[in-house]
Amino acid sequence: MIDPALYDQARDRIAASGFTPEIQTRITLLLCTAKNGNLMFHSGVQWMQSLNVVQQFILSQYSRELEAVTLLSRTTQWSKDPALAMEGSRIVAPLMLAWGQIMMPPGPMMNPQAAYRGISLGHAQLARIRLLPVIPDNADPLNPFVVALQRIEQENGRMLQTQIRLLKNIGTEIPIEEREALVEQDQELVDGVFNEFLRWLAAP
Amino acid sequence: MPTIQFGHHQVHYELAGPPGKPVITFLNGLTQNANLWKSYAEYFVPRGYRVLAYDMLGQGRSSKPVIDIKLATHADMLDNLLGQLKIEKTHLTGISFGGIIALDFAIRYGQRLHSLTAMSTFAEQTPQLELLGAVMLQGLAEVGLPYLQSMLYPMNMSSAWIAANRERIPAMKRAGYIGNDGYAMQNLMESFVEFKPLTPELHKIKVPTLIMNGEFDFFTPRECHEVIRSQIKNSRLLIIQRAYHAFTLEMPAVTMRQLEVFLDQVTAGTWQGNQSVWVAADDPAAETQWLPCASDWMRAIQIGTPEPVAPAPARRKAPTRKKTP
Repeated sequence: MIDPALYDQARDRIAASGFTPEIQTRITLLLCTAKNGNLMFHSGVQWMQSLNVVQQFILSQYSRELEAVTLLSRTTQWSKDPALAMEGSRIVAPLMLAWGQIMMPPGPMMNPQAAYRGISLGHAQLARIRLLPVIPDNADPLNPFVVALQRIEQENGRMLQTQIRLLKNIGTEIPIEEREALVEQDQELVDGVFNEFLRWLAAP
Repeated sequence: MPTIQFGHHQVHYELAGPPGKPVITFLNGLTQNANLWKSYAEYFVPRGYRVLAYDMLGQGRSSKPVIDIKLATHADMLDNLLGQLKIEKTHLTGISFGGIIALDFAIRYGQRLHSLTAMSTFAEQTPQLELLGAVMLQGLAEVGLPYLQSMLYPMNMSSAWIAANRERIPAMKRAGYIGNDGYAMQNLMESFVEFKPLTPELHKIKVPTLIMNGEFDFFTPRECHEVIRSQIKNSRLLIIQRAYHAFTLEMPAVTMRQLEVFLDQVTAGTWQGNQSVWVAADDPAAETQWLPCASDWMRAIQIGTPEPVAPAPARRKAPTRKKTP
C-alpha cells in the first residue's frame, strides 16, 4: 500500500522548488532502474518457445521500455551530485535484486517460475509506480521532463495490458490463490520501494 | 481503518455508531471508496443507526486482485463481512456498481436484509449500457485511468455541479487516481463479461425495496430502473428531481432525507411496497417528501392535449383575369 500523504508531500516539495536537476535525477534513477529490469527480462524471453502471438507483445514492450529509458535520459537535467546516485541505488536495490534473481541462470527463457515472476514483477512496476500525482498544478505543461513523465505513465497503462493478459491466461497448474499471492508479494516489494522513493523525493 | 480477512484478501471497512442499533450498509460505485459515505454516517448515527461502509475488493484500501475476481464474489464477501462483524441483518443501500451487488445480495442472501435500496443501477445490460461499458473499458485499457476519470465526471454530474466545482476537480481526480488502480478497475469491469442478467431472479427479492433514479440520469436511465420496479413486488420507484447518475455525491442532503423517510416507514411497519412511482421533494425540509408521479415516468417530455383546430378562413375567390381581346 502506498501512503497517499507521501504523494502530497512530494508534490508540495516540487511545487516549492520546481523540477530541479536533483528532483529530475531522483525520478529518472527510479524509473530507469524499473524499466531496465523489465527491459532485460523481455530481452531474455523474446525467443522463448511457443510464445506465438505473445512474442509480438514481448518485443513491443521491450522496444517501448527502451524508448522510455532513452526519452527520460535525454530529457532529464542531470544533477552532478554522485551522492544522489548512491542514495538512489540504495533505494532501488530491492528491485535490482529481484530482477537479478529472475535473470539468474538458466534465465527466464528456460525457467518457467522465473518467467512467471518476471511478468508479475513487471505488472507491479507498471501498475504501482505512478508519478502523475507528484506533478504540481503549477508545473509548466510544456516542460520536456513533465511531458516525458506524462507520456511514460500513459504508455505504462497500455503496456500493462500484456502483463494482465498473461497473468490471467498463462497456462499453469498453480492454483489461482497462490498465483494471486505471488503477484501480491511483488506488489508489496514495489510499494515498499516506491514509498521510500516518495519520502526521498519529498526530502530537501 | 479496520480490516477483515476474506480468504487471501483484506477488506477495509468503517463501522460507525453504537452496537445494538440497526445497521445501514452502503455499497460504493465503481470508482468510489468507503470514505465517501462519511457524511451519511454523520447523518444517520445520531438518528439511531449504525453505518457500515467498506472498500470492495479492487477498491481503495482493500486488496486488489490482479488475476481474477468474479462478480458474485462481492456479495459472498459482504455476507462474510457481516458474519465477521456479527451483524445478523442490515438495511442495504448500493449505488451503480454497488447497486448491482446489492441486488445480487438481496437475491441470494435476502434473509440477511431488513430492506434494500438500489440507486442508479441495473439488473441487466441494455444495448446502450453494453456499448457504454465496452467504450469505458477500451478507454481505460488504451488511454488510461485519467481518461476514464475525465469521462465519468460529465456522465455522473450535472453541468451546474461541474461549473461550481471546476477548480476542485483536478485535486479530486488526483485523489481518485491515487486511491484507485487502473488494473483493478479493469478487473471489476471485465467481471461483467460473465454477467448474467439478474432480472429473472429479481422476483426472489421480498424485502421492502426502494429504487432511486435521477431524473436526468442518462448513464443508467429510467428503463434500467423500470425493469427492477416491474419485477420486485415489494418495491417503489422514487425519481430524484434534476439529478444525474451520482446523486449521492451531488445531492447528499436530498438523498439522505429520502433514505430516512424509507427507513422510518420500514421500521414503523407503514411501508407499502406496491410498485408505485414517486418523485422526491427537492427540499429536504419539505413536509411532504414523496410526491406522486402524475405522468408517464418513462418519458422525458409530457405531451399536452392539442388545441382545437380553428376553421380555416374562407378563401377569397381569385380575381378573374380579363381576357385580352
